[in-house]
Amino acid sequence: MKKRWPITILYRAFSSSTTSTTASFPLKHVKKSNFDSALSSLRHHIQAADFVAIDLEMTGITSAPWRDSFEFDRFDVRYLKVKDSAEKFAVIQFGVSPFRWDPLKQSFITHPHNFFIFQRQELPLDGAAYEFLCQTTSMDFLAKYQFDFNACIHEGVSYLSREQEDKALKHVNSTYEDESLDSWHSLKEIRDTHLFNIPDILFAERMKDRLSEWLGGLLRNRDGGSEVQPSFNDSKQQFETIFFKMRPAISLNGFTSHQLLLIQLVVRKHFKDLAYLRVSGENSCSQNVIVYIESESDKKMLMKEVKDEQKIDAEMSIKASIGFRHVIDLLSSEKKLIVGHNCFLDIAHIYSKFFGPLPLTAEEFISSVNKYFPHIIDTKILLNSNSILQQRMKKSSTSLSKAFSVLCPQIALGSKSTHLALQPSVKVEVEVDDIRSSNWNSGVKHEAGYDAFMTGCVFAQACSHLGIDFKQQSSSENLAHNEKLREHVNLLYLSWTNGEIINLSTGNRTSESLASNKRKNHYPKILFECIVIVWGFPSHLKAWDIRECISKVYGPTSVISVYHVDETSVFVQFSRAEMVSKFLDLKESLDRNNDPISVLHPLAKLLEGGNTCAASYETYKEICSSTVSKVLFADQAKAVGIKWKTKLVESSDKTKEHESLRKVKAVNSDPSCGERTKNKNFDDVPNDSSYSQLSSDEIIDSFYTREAKQI
Amino acid sequence: MVPKFKPSPLRIRSFCTKTVQQNPHHWPIKQITKTNFNESLSEIKNHISSSDFIAVSLQNTGSFSSPWHRVSTFDTPETAYLKAKFAAERFQILQFAICPFKLQASKVIAYPYNFHLFPRDELKMGMPSYSFTCQTSYLTAMAKEGFDFNTCIYDGISYLSEAQESAAKVRMGNPMAVDHATKSSSSPALSVADTVFIERVRSRVKHWKNACTDSDIKTEAALVTSLRKIVLGGEQFGSRPSMTIDVCSERQVQLVLKMLEDFSDVLVPLIIPAKGGGTQAVRAVLTSSDEDKHLLKRELQTFEFEQNKRVRGFREVIDLISASQKPIVAHNSLNDFTFIHSKFLAPLPPNMNEFICSLRLAFPQVIDVNYLLKDIGPVKKMTNISATIAYLKNRFFAPIEMEIPNQANENEGKIHGHNVVKICQLFGKLCSILKITPDAIESSDDFLASAINRYANIFYSLPGSSQEPTNEEIRGWTNDKRKVSCEDVVFLWGFRERISAGILKNMLQGSHEVFAEAFNVRMVDRSCAIVVFGKPGLSNTFKNVMNSKEVSGPLREMVSDGLKAAGYETYQRVCSSGLWESALADALDKALASHNCLSEAAYETKQSEIYLSNELINLAEL
Repeated sequence: MKKRWPITILYRAFSSSTTSTTASFPLKHVKKSNFDSALSSLRHHIQAADFVAIDLEMTGITSAPWRDSFEFDRFDVRYLKVKDSAEKFAVIQFGVSPFRWDPLKQSFITHPHNFFIFQRQELPLDGAAYEFLCQTTSMDFLAKYQFDFNACIHEGVSYLSREQEDKALKHVNSTYEDESLDSWHSLKEIRDTHLFNIPDILFAERMKDRLSEWLGGLLRNRDGGSEVQPSFNDSKQQFETIFFKMRPAISLNGFTSHQLLLIQLVVRKHFKDLAYLRVSGENSCSQNVIVYIESESDKKMLMKEVKDEQKIDAEMSIKASIGFRHVIDLLSSEKKLIVGHNCFLDIAHIYSKFFGPLPLTAEEFISSVNKYFPHIIDTKILLNSNSILQQRMKKSSTSLSKAFSVLCPQIALGSKSTHLALQPSVKVEVEVDDIRSSNWNSGVKHEAGYDAFMTGCVFAQACSHLGIDFKQQSSSENLAHNEKLREHVNLLYLSWTNGEIINLSTGNRTSESLASNKRKNHYPKILFECIVIVWGFPSHLKAWDIRECISKVYGPTSVISVYHVDETSVFVQFSRAEMVSKFLDLKESLDRNNDPISVLHPLAKLLEGGNTCAASYETYKEICSSTVSKVLFADQAKAVGIKWKTKLVESSDKTKEHESLRKVKAVNSDPSCGERTKNKNFDDVPNDSSYSQLSSDEIIDSFYTREAKQI
Repeated sequence: MVPKFKPSPLRIRSFCTKTVQQNPHHWPIKQITKTNFNESLSEIKNHISSSDFIAVSLQNTGSFSSPWHRVSTFDTPETAYLKAKFAAERFQILQFAICPFKLQASKVIAYPYNFHLFPRDELKMGMPSYSFTCQTSYLTAMAKEGFDFNTCIYDGISYLSEAQESAAKVRMGNPMAVDHATKSSSSPALSVADTVFIERVRSRVKHWKNACTDSDIKTEAALVTSLRKIVLGGEQFGSRPSMTIDVCSERQVQLVLKMLEDFSDVLVPLIIPAKGGGTQAVRAVLTSSDEDKHLLKRELQTFEFEQNKRVRGFREVIDLISASQKPIVAHNSLNDFTFIHSKFLAPLPPNMNEFICSLRLAFPQVIDVNYLLKDIGPVKKMTNISATIAYLKNRFFAPIEMEIPNQANENEGKIHGHNVVKICQLFGKLCSILKITPDAIESSDDFLASAINRYANIFYSLPGSSQEPTNEEIRGWTNDKRKVSCEDVVFLWGFRERISAGILKNMLQGSHEVFAEAFNVRMVDRSCAIVVFGKPGLSNTFKNVMNSKEVSGPLREMVSDGLKAAGYETYQRVCSSGLWESALADALDKALASHNCLSEAAYETKQSEIYLSNELINLAEL
């Protein structure tokens, strides 16, 4: 209660001095120090919530300019781009805002939480170091909004994904279960041979004497009952008598590792009733002890005891490292309706950070996401796909802050009195650490917690416009099953750029229908089999030059569009699919014959410099699936291609490969079943006599790598 | 041990400008961010020009992602360079500490600065870097030292490399004044077309010039003035009228410039660069008088100067160091200078030779303290400067007094960049032990030059201490001084994970007759080990056996379980083709797969030698 006072007074003072009733108290920031308490309170809020709004802040979006989202992205390419982004960048802030309808107050109550998260390498998992990419412009953007990087790196909550946890647990199990890997047995043979120099022998003798002295004293003590052995006390700094697992023991301090090794040898050689143990003590420093054992079975028992304890410790530390994933597990297990704004990338991040590696295809991804989160609503789609809401939005942009200020002016601007009469508004009350306000404004945009709060408010208001009456809504009923929402649930923008929407529950893809009036499609429908990607051409050539160059060969209507992927590469969209192969054939023959005719050919301008490469859309997809990210597409292609091509004939190789692909496609006239096409292709190529042995080997090899990638 | 030098509190108080600091945590290191960068530059310049040496030390966002990416004893100079290159291209420098210092007897007078860097895209051109990688452990370690990431990201100094700067200038398309270099001295014979072109432009310029000077006299209606502008194609350059002359080739540029010389009393030519390089147009600016002309030229100069400063950012300091041609002292120089080259000079060349040539142009003398240490005796671990200093302190009496004239007035914030001062201290100690005494500096510059030259430009590799020295066999082997030819090294993988080198060796010993002779095994990472054969030729026998059908006995068993082997050339190919998989076994597999389609002849590897414990790369030998 005391704590609340200063803030409340501040709040009052603030609100009385201005006409608006906007409350301004800070967002609830969750860091390492207050994570446990925040988690337990959040657990209750989430369990009681009708829906939970989320938002993420990342260290970047695209790992290279050409990985940006384009209109020419086929859905599988789009997924690969999202996958690349989610795998490379880190999530540094996670906003969670559970919304609950309070029937007494006739308003929503929300508890926005702003988690700073930062994955530390707390467990010795495997050799590879944790690393993440930062996009310079994104970091600069965050800095502009005063993002607290110190809070994130110094005090961020760490986490383990489910996969990492499983791996770590398996590792622990194999370490403690597998007898043959017992660390002090395996090295014995090698070490035994090393006790040969005089100082070592002398030291070992001395240790032997001291140990037998201690042992003798111990046995006398047990039999006779005399007290402390005085002779042993002198060396107390090094030999300290303790009790270890209810057994008398010596704790060894201040020896070098070599000396400890010698002591270990002495114990094993000369003392049947002593056991040498290395245990990890408190604060993770290891402790070396020699324990008195009564029999071989006692020794086994002791070993087992120690091992079990260490195993439990190791498992405990793994459990302790789960950290922020508890929140995600909670969201998943409670099966709450998750609300995000344009959140396909966010979901991919959640998947890769907290569940496991992203699947290779969009289909697999969608079906597993649906398992973990059965109900997701994207407010951006909601606003664009419903005509009532579009009207409400007055055709303004559907960016989060814009939607928030248009739909929830009473919260965004604090202008409660003026707008109340005009539109029915859903009341939202914010509660942060026992402070409540119905007109809260923390004022910090692009802070994940606040963005999540805004998303939730937009959603609540949108629901009310859709005619959902929260007063009628019984608390037990899941909001996601409301018939007015049903058609919007589990739809996500695969790509906002071309308005492709994916349904998470069915896996169906649709193009945006309702909003088409807003979206001016200046590109005709894209047929991917008509597309060639060209890169490495002379840098002074622009899209127009390339179009002109190709049109000279195939006529003015042959090229529909030329689109710059980046400065080193273009998509050329032909009017007919067969022109792709014609073009690639021609290019290949021009590359091969360096005679005057090919120099004077209209295409020669494009091939100038000898580095121009061209391939079909499939190669583009393959390049996108690579984990490498070079800034320029031409460099990227080189970095990917080197793996299975001779540099010497790089450009013609590419054409050849796609020529073969195309041939197979012509036979197998169903291009959509990619998997079958490739298998067929794989069989066909070696029989094709038109290729030299060398190149067909390469082709097999290239398909081999692709197959491997797809498996 | 009695401390040899106690800082006298009296002395500190009485001479405020000169303080002797022995406690590293109180070293006054000036912290520089964007806010105080410009004002500090001239001071830094003075310190650099008056110093004998310049120590540098970098704080990066990471170094190696997987154990085998670390430069290790089994690396040749070439593979070591490729590993360093891979790191330098991905990670970022967040702090760059420099310390110009002087050696006077047993005293080091140091002027340390610590720059906070951030690759902010000041020009919105995706430069200096589109993105960079961070290693969590590095950031956590920095956080433990109290590093302020907010200061770094909000207020770090940006920069462009030399290569990026020239690219940026072209892309910005700012007009450039014509210097004498751009004017070609020889005037080629004029063709008819050239003459026509020149005369046409000349008449246009004359017309425009007259019109401009006319309109200065007459006062015209606004409409007439603007009409005239449209007709004549005149523009404004700042407050002065100007005219753009479009050109199609560099030759035309020369012609126009030559022609404009006739008007040089009032016209100043400027070159407008084209976006894709080359020249887009020539712009003639009309000045009213000779003074005005000089004024314009000065304006252009200051504009360019300011712009350069803005564009270069921190590289200004690198340029100062480079221009001073002073010897640079570093610790772990291969790592530091691959970073410096890639961030401030140009993209790293594909091989070590080119790298060293390119680097030497900018920094003629680089001294690695690790190499100086080599002359003193075997030091097992040289990665930690403080530990090395402590080691020397226990062994040699070479007291070094650190004097850091107090320059950091600001008490706010944590002081970072202690390493650079430690490098100075260590270097001072080493010089005194090795008798490269600073007295020699005064008496004979030549002596110093030769003494320093002995140590300069030797790029060290890190000792490969990724392995815990638990296994006696390996320790003994690593201490071995003999060179091992790459020929005798075989990489082995495909065995059970988390196996120890000792067990693997035991397994191999009985498996085939090649293992009857002396050989050594060492783990590179969890997935891969290297086997070194003592007797030449055995490695080939072994590789042949592995690839033949005759493989039998226990070895056959191991091969059936997945054991694979490859020679050193496969490893070299892994590094040169950038197969930086996280497990070396995967990388080797990929290299083998891609190799199968290549003709063997293309990859005849040169026989090179690796030095198992003497892992240095000497510039002189290359």
